Amino acid sequence: MIELYHIWKQYQKPNWALNDITFKAQKGDFYFVTGPSGSGKTTLLNIISRGILPTQGQIIIDGKNIQRIPDHKIYQIRRIMGIVFQDFRLLFHKKVFNNVALVLEVLGTPKKEIKRRVYNALKMVNLQDKMYSYPAHLSYGEQQRVAIARAVVNNPKIILADEPTGNLDPELAFEIMSLFNEINKQGSTVIICTHDRELIRHFGNKILFLYKGKLLREEFF
Amino acid sequence: MIIVLFLEKETPEPTLNALKEKVQNSGLVKDFQYTDAALAREKFLNSFPELRGVLDNLETNPFPPSIEATLEKQAMNTDTVASFIADLKNSDGVEDVQFNLEWVEKIQSFGRLARAIGFFLGGILSLASFFIISNVIKLNVMARQNEIVILRSVGATNTYIRIPFLLEGMILGMLGSGLSLLLLFLLIQLFPVYLGQALGALNELINFRYLSLGQCMWLTCGGAAIGALGSFSSLSQFLKT
Repeated sequence: MIELYHIWKQYQKPNWALNDITFKAQKGDFYFVTGPSGSGKTTLLNIISRGILPTQGQIIIDGKNIQRIPDHKIYQIRRIMGIVFQDFRLLFHKKVFNNVALVLEVLGTPKKEIKRRVYNALKMVNLQDKMYSYPAHLSYGEQQRVAIARAVVNNPKIILADEPTGNLDPELAFEIMSLFNEINKQGSTVIICTHDRELIRHFGNKILFLYKGKLLREEFF
Repeated sequence: MIIVLFLEKETPEPTLNALKEKVQNSGLVKDFQYTDAALAREKFLNSFPELRGVLDNLETNPFPPSIEATLEKQAMNTDTVASFIADLKNSDGVEDVQFNLEWVEKIQSFGRLARAIGFFLGGILSLASFFIISNVIKLNVMARQNEIVILRSVGATNTYIRIPFLLEGMILGMLGSGLSLLLLFLLIQLFPVYLGQALGALNELINFRYLSLGQCMWLTCGGAAIGALGSFSSLSQFLKT
């Protein structure tokens, strides 16, 4: 599903943000990417989502070499992914419903179907009662759950989440990680960047340890 | 513009009729008036009554008969008029033809120059509109950059993202053209009133007419196209990742 071969990324010389990363994630895998700040976790996720291109190396997603996909066709790869950003990236002038519906609207899904699927996604994150609220009126944890609902509403093959529990209290972080676990059980490949050891200890079965852009080790439990 | 044909004094009736026919059927003349020698004398005396004594002292009437032909406005092409005048000069019974072709040519070349300056300024203004619209859209895009990033991340195509901005650019362009057309209309209505009689004979040559419906539509479509191009170019750099 996700294959990375000798990925190098340099933003400016002489430092390498990623240093010869190679790994493969199969369909239905649940990966944690961990490491200290500046180890390259976010860069790795950005490269997988084709937000940025690597300096060297090859990335195969769902059988396609994504570096060969031209800019105007990136949407093809994004449509099989659900991305949860560290800063949520919600549209504050739109209601929760519209934020989640955005994913389906760009696909041209019929309105009735959008309503049904958005409701189901929000129910999954237990926010169905706040469907018509604005994100600004929600708590931090609720905003995070809206971002997760948006990422999963299209049943994507891959879910990428960058520090989805950062700044959340442990209880809420646990709840959100359980959600990802649920989504993973439905068949999506999930890759989560975090440095929360407690969560990794509890949920992790495949872990990538990054340090200064290098893949130190890959652990399987 | 008027052409005056001074005729020979004793022009026989058939020659005169042939001349009148030639003038009438030329296709260049709107109307004409024949003035015989006696009428010419009378007109002169009406204009300068104090010179009656001078005329009375003359043994013969010095005024020749003449034909005054008013040219059609569409017939102001100097080449056509020049060949018409040359033809008249060579006609039987015609002594002289009075028409200031050089002056007409000057006025017409001034018109051509004004038109060229108009096109040049139009080009510059079109470019200015393009840059102004593209900058307005750029500011708008920057204000909505977060939304664009989110749309890109959820799999929106570039076309899906572009359409609202393109529509905005087109509407801005159309509004700009509409406003310019309105200003032009007011200018055309007010300019002759403002100048009054100051234009004098130039009134005959300068045609203060508004654009046709087709030209207005072309200009509006052009404005919309400039607007669309402006927004297209300003969006491209935001649709890379």
